Amino acid sequence: MPKTIIDANKSAFALDLKELLDYRDLFYTLAYRDFKVKYAQTFLGLAWAFIQPFMTLVVFALVFSRGLQIDTGDIPYTLFAACGLASWTYFSSVMGQAGSSIIGAQGMVQKIYFPRLVIPLSKAVVGLIDFSITLLVIVILMIFYQFAPSANIVFLPFFIVMAIIAALGVGIWLSALTIRYRDFQHIIPFLLRFGMFFTPVAYPAVLLIKRMPEWASIIYYLNPVAGIIDGFRWSILGSEPPGTLSYISFGVVILLFVSSLFYFKKVERIIADIV
Amino acid sequence: MSDVAISVENISKRYLIGDTSSGSLREVLTGFFSNQGSQKTEEFWALKDISFEVKRGEAIGIIGKNGAGKSTLLKVLSRITEPTTGRIEIDGRVSSLLEVGTGFHPELTGRENVFLNGTILGMSRDEIKAKFDEIVDFSGVEKFLDTPVKRYSSGMKVRLAFAVAAHLEPEILIVDEVLAVGDAEFQSKCLGKMRDVAGEGRTILFVSHNMGAVKSLCQRGIFLQQGKVAKTGTASEAVDYYLENAVELKGVFSLPLPSLESQLEKLGYATEITIENEQSEITSILPLAKPWQVRVKFTLLNHVSHFIIAIGIKTTDDTAIRTTWSKPQDLEPGDYEAVFRDDSVFLCSGVYKLAIGLSSRERSFQYFSEGAYIEFDDFVKKDTALRNNSGLILNQMSVNISQNVLS
Repeated sequence: MPKTIIDANKSAFALDLKELLDYRDLFYTLAYRDFKVKYAQTFLGLAWAFIQPFMTLVVFALVFSRGLQIDTGDIPYTLFAACGLASWTYFSSVMGQAGSSIIGAQGMVQKIYFPRLVIPLSKAVVGLIDFSITLLVIVILMIFYQFAPSANIVFLPFFIVMAIIAALGVGIWLSALTIRYRDFQHIIPFLLRFGMFFTPVAYPAVLLIKRMPEWASIIYYLNPVAGIIDGFRWSILGSEPPGTLSYISFGVVILLFVSSLFYFKKVERIIADIV
Repeated sequence: MSDVAISVENISKRYLIGDTSSGSLREVLTGFFSNQGSQKTEEFWALKDISFEVKRGEAIGIIGKNGAGKSTLLKVLSRITEPTTGRIEIDGRVSSLLEVGTGFHPELTGRENVFLNGTILGMSRDEIKAKFDEIVDFSGVEKFLDTPVKRYSSGMKVRLAFAVAAHLEPEILIVDEVLAVGDAEFQSKCLGKMRDVAGEGRTILFVSHNMGAVKSLCQRGIFLQQGKVAKTGTASEAVDYYLENAVELKGVFSLPLPSLESQLEKLGYATEITIENEQSEITSILPLAKPWQVRVKFTLLNHVSHFIIAIGIKTTDDTAIRTTWSKPQDLEPGDYEAVFRDDSVFLCSGVYKLAIGLSSRERSFQYFSEGAYIEFDDFVKKDTALRNNSGLILNQMSVNISQNVLS
């Protein structure tokens, strides 16, 4: 028989991941809900998940490849940009949704108990659906350009996991911060808009790095997505392997994720009182 | 296995009022620099040193006035919010129902919402699948299962939500009376289901204002007053204690001061309404079928000719029941009070709205209809003829029965 102990003095550092596992059905259901609701009553339905990345790529190709003549070597520009776009779109959508997720679930949070972490976590699952569709777009482009994937593709799952962790780390931090300081509701869209310029989505990172002093490059790679995008391109397209700078980025991802769990746990105790 | 299902030791819950903590960054920053960040906050103890035990298979009712801490206690027990001090041990699987239909999403179909709501309440998908047909049967909405819930009537929504809740099989059930809103049929369905659960030997914690339900459903009762346990005992003992002690003298309503902008408004205004019982004592709950009175204090700023003061009584859903007014008279500036006494029409138990109107030459210069209430109730008498289903007016007509003799 399960025994529940509620103690005002319990340690704030017990993460209780087992409990999270007990609630896995909830988080599939929540993810399913978000997915379903996103395309409910739209005429094109899931087709939107294709149209959006596709149109973005067309715009990128026009502006950056045709207009600004960005050089991506042997790799077709569209394919190059698609790899960046896939990870950035996943990261930004999960981060944006997770950030406001707890506020959006006020009704539930005040009426029933469940591990609150389920809410932002479920957003990472929803994002995966759109993400896999973008990956499909990449596959289609590769067939179109008759571009064979590199052997490094075996490392792709690792970078996908890193992308999930990065998105969650930032998303969980933001969801907890938003509860405490509503200011973050305004900061998140701002971060998302500017983030893309400081992330090598539409252009190769080298282009910036070689014109910047070293300290600026280090700051650039504090961006958790920067290293991941390098990794994506390396594993799918066989471009330059992620350099030393990328490891800074990976370190930031891990640090953000672990710290987010603890900070969330701390805020979780007072969520229902202040949300 | 011990026979104690819930043990609560010295639970307290503190809220900070004046500051919701969900503040802005600026407050934090200014607080950081001036070192006096949250001095404007005030402490409020919603619960103070609550201790009790609930035995396995026992149904226990928690009663108390609004603001006594009942809901906070439920929230702490359901782990929605954490206590500030103390410790609780709960032995067994808990389901808490503070609301039906938590998490229902209007865009999803009935079927999808059953799964969503069920998993939120702590059931696994397999469990829901196994009980799905039963749930649908119980709700009576099988025809609309694949329709989005936003197209449901509110009654259908509640039925579906309750059907899910009713199929939870916890060892310990924590229920808020909020559950018992809705029409009479739904209420009795709720109570009936809870009686079943209690009969199966499960532990129930039930918060309610409905003394009758507490008495009939629970064996034991806890009476909370200002966040403290004021009385524990059998359900009847706790209810009796509540009725003797909790009916507080708060039958005074202060009216907002009108803007006094127009010429008409400058004539005067009512300031305060008090509800009084037969003995002219101020009270918020009036006994049934006894004379009662309303006292209205008002101030006239100018000479008012042909002055009339009127009160109206409405049901809470705004059906007018009656209006009574004074004889017209001319009044000089000054402070006045009017007493409306009713000793002929007796209203059924329940809450009613009170409206006040002041007029001069049939032109109204103040009308107040939201915010003053009277309540009639008679907790002690369980005379069903005086209770709900007999209509708004309790007065009896004269009835004569005579035998027809065929000539």
